[in-house]
Amino acid sequence: MTAPTADLATAEVSRPTARKAPLVRLLRSELRMILRRPRTLIMIGLLALVPVIAGIGIAIAASGDDNGPVGDGIAALVDGNGLLLPVFALVLAMNMLLPLTGAMLAADALAGETASGTLRSLLLAPVSRPRVLAVKAFGVATVTLLVVLLMSLTGAVAGVILLGGDGMLTMSGTQLPFFDAIGRILLTALLVTVQIWALAAIALAVSSWTEHPLIVVVVALGVVILSGVLSAIPALDWLDPVLMTTSWESIPEVIRDPLPTGTLLEGVLRAGCYIVIGYSLALSRMLSRDG
Amino acid sequence: MTRGSEQGVVAADAAAAPLAARTRGLRKVYRGTVAVDNVDLDVPMGAVLGMLGPNGSGKTTTIRMLLGLVMPTAGEVELLGHKLPEGAALALPEVGALVESPGFHSFLSGRENLLRMAAVEPHLGSNRIAAAVSESLERVGLTGAANRRYRGYSLGMKQRLGLAAALLVPRRVVILDEPTNGLDPAGTREVRAVIADLHAAGTTVLVSSHLLSEVEATCTHVAVLNQGTVVAQGELADLLDSGNAGLLVTTPDITRAVDALRDNRIPARAVPDGVRADLTATTAPLVVETLVQAGVPVYEVKRDRTGLEDLFARLTENTESSQDTDLSEFEFPIAEEAR
Repeated sequence: MTAPTADLATAEVSRPTARKAPLVRLLRSELRMILRRPRTLIMIGLLALVPVIAGIGIAIAASGDDNGPVGDGIAALVDGNGLLLPVFALVLAMNMLLPLTGAMLAADALAGETASGTLRSLLLAPVSRPRVLAVKAFGVATVTLLVVLLMSLTGAVAGVILLGGDGMLTMSGTQLPFFDAIGRILLTALLVTVQIWALAAIALAVSSWTEHPLIVVVVALGVVILSGVLSAIPALDWLDPVLMTTSWESIPEVIRDPLPTGTLLEGVLRAGCYIVIGYSLALSRMLSRDG
Repeated sequence: MTRGSEQGVVAADAAAAPLAARTRGLRKVYRGTVAVDNVDLDVPMGAVLGMLGPNGSGKTTTIRMLLGLVMPTAGEVELLGHKLPEGAALALPEVGALVESPGFHSFLSGRENLLRMAAVEPHLGSNRIAAAVSESLERVGLTGAANRRYRGYSLGMKQRLGLAAALLVPRRVVILDEPTNGLDPAGTREVRAVIADLHAAGTTVLVSSHLLSEVEATCTHVAVLNQGTVVAQGELADLLDSGNAGLLVTTPDITRAVDALRDNRIPARAVPDGVRADLTATTAPLVVETLVQAGVPVYEVKRDRTGLEDLFARLTENTESSQDTDLSEFEFPIAEEAR
């Protein structure tokens, strides 16, 4: 039984299949664990409040004496156009809060668990390294989606209650009926989620290299800020097609009528590239790192 | 085994004494620092093998390579007949391990942490998870604290929970890295009892420790590591026989005692509170008689039960000066005295 296998070829042939813990059980356990982590819960709670606070702010500003627009861009449209509030809030949160959430989730997923020694427990069970990465990616992606959907929900409810309106006035000046408006909100949520997934993929790659969660957050936010700075420099316009933030800036386009499908798809495609790159780096590191 | 003659010999060896784990020429270099070098470790099936060594001697690195957590720079590892790290999926489900400090989520309770561990355990059916967790908690005496957050656990409780995780399912091999770290005497006894239970059930146990008494009390086999290499390994009894027997005599008059014994050609040396007489060429009654006749007040006489400590000191002290290994941590008076 303990005799060494003669060579690799026979080892392959005689190798019995290893039993694994059911994947669904792994994923459920992962989600339950993330959603029990106090800082995740606090983050989710605060993000759910963002649309409400934005709605209150706009309601107060709109009830002021001067009858000018409340702000620029989407902000100017939100008053009396409540279903636009979730879109406004998501675009607002896209500046810092949502990227921070994605980075934090990714940081906790690998770097944090390495630091606490819990990743080692997974490897000892054993869960294979690609499977660990898949489970972690699933956890980060699902919770991100959950947060964005929750923001959309609180945004829509707060918008209708605080600002009123039963349809959606688009940036192109047309009025969308209720169900189309809900469709646009969901579309925004999905677009935002995919962009956060892209950032989280990069963050997860960093997360697989370090055991300090803070480094992951710093690097991820550094990427966001640098990307924003580069896209703001006119001389570097040729860089725009590869910058993550180019897609982010195009998200408000979702409330144009008709929908600028090309621009939005391009953003999704760009995010897809970042996701592939991020997870490839993370996987290669996972396979070679010491546990 | 139709391969080369070398392979044939290895196979014959294995047939003679089945091994639960073995390493050959194991080496690990971390950024230019050699942590483990040329380690050939044999863990016989059913044995309780104590891995002894000063801090930094490569115990934990060796264990981590045995478990496929760390890729060796050179050499090979076999666990339950499977090459690691490639065969981890086949070998590890039958191996329970507590490596370094136990890793748990501080915001979950002990039970929730174990439920999480159980969820990823390949050989545990979903319907048996709750029962397995409760049994495991019971076994390490944590049932009362099961629903408290891990954050609030004492060091000993954390260690117990780590042990509980290692014992979630019946294992063929259990690897415990410093299992009694932070445990009170009662906890230490319980760990010994758990190891004895495992041994009785035929489980192979590998315990690393720097507490010699620990190893002496629980192990059938010993491997001593120093500076990343195995300096001795074998059955505990055999290794102890290779150490020399001695008699410890407590007396306030150390100088006169040593002189009296040496005058009678009994090798002796001073130890704190008395002398240690070598019994290789003489007997205990003769030593006592000699001392009493020389008028030395004898307060207490006991056999030197520190055979393993003595052996350990001999095996590791020659490099002590070159390494800043702090042997005082091991609490054995002979090494202290020998300096």
